[in-house]
Amino acid sequence: MMMGETETEAIKRCLAGDNDAFAGVVETYQDRIYSFALRLLKDEAAAEDAAQETFVKAFRALSSYNTALPLSSWLFRIAHNSCMDALRVSGRTVSMDHEDFPDLPDRGPAVADSVADALDSERIEALLSSLPPLYSEALLLQYREEMGPAEIARVTGTPEGTVKARLFRAREMLKAKLSDATVQGAEAYYRRGAI
Amino acid sequence: MTADRTDAAIAKAVAALPYRRPRADFKARVMAAIAAEAEAATWREKALRAVGLTVGTWSAAVACGAAAFVYYNFADIAITVIRPGGVSGALNMLAARCALMLAKLISVVSFVIELAGLAMPASYEIVAASLICAAAITALSRGRLAGQSI
Repeated sequence: MMMGETETEAIKRCLAGDNDAFAGVVETYQDRIYSFALRLLKDEAAAEDAAQETFVKAFRALSSYNTALPLSSWLFRIAHNSCMDALRVSGRTVSMDHEDFPDLPDRGPAVADSVADALDSERIEALLSSLPPLYSEALLLQYREEMGPAEIARVTGTPEGTVKARLFRAREMLKAKLSDATVQGAEAYYRRGAI
Repeated sequence: MTADRTDAAIAKAVAALPYRRPRADFKARVMAAIAAEAEAATWREKALRAVGLTVGTWSAAVACGAAAFVYYNFADIAITVIRPGGVSGALNMLAARCALMLAKLISVVSFVIELAGLAMPASYEIVAASLICAAAITALSRGRLAGQSI
């Protein structure tokens, strides 16, 4: 996009036949879309392919884009579809089967202050990648992309209630994993004390 | 630690995740794919226009040929229409002539292809037959048949 040009203006220029105007859109969103795809697919080449497919599909469907909605939501919706297709092709599950709904305790597990406070990027990255894609996706869209449940529902094409349930379960799963870390840390501490 | 505080810690950690950068040539590759897509779309459009133009031209040519035939043979056609059973007779005659002509044309085209030793696809034969057929109909429509003259 040119200096001071809004996304809507850039899209209007694209629709008028100026393909180069789309370069600005790619430049603005490439890191966000690629990171999103990478965290879902956990493979750099697959993430680049999905991100590229997202932009090409977006360009192809520009005429159907509703400018009243944020461009980011629309792009993330296309990226979501591309990633889900890639996951299906690679044979990884994206369905809501029992694997995606692990049994969780009614009350959230206790997490030690030190463990939760020490949640850095590397640790949370590892924890997110251990979650099923639909759950890590919900967390990423809510916290990293600052979307509300309604917007996430639009992006993922699922009811808002399902999004809220996924968010809740994703947080509970993370807490369970952090709680395991707390227990292991305590065991190590007592083992050291015994020595 | 309270659940709220853990939730807040998770939210903060996820929000602080850095964006990863794709390879340096990512944008160039995307734009190249888009350019290829746009070029393919342009070619599709051109092909559709060409087909439309061809169909339109042929329709116009057939319409003009038919109009010319009616114009130059109006008296004969009128008599044929007025005469009882004239229309069906004329149609039968026309169908027979067309079938005969088509058979002759196909045999001529097959002979020419065999003679030239060319392995032309069937579509070319149909196009060639249509062209020759149209030319023959136009040529015939200009002259009057002896039986139809007043």
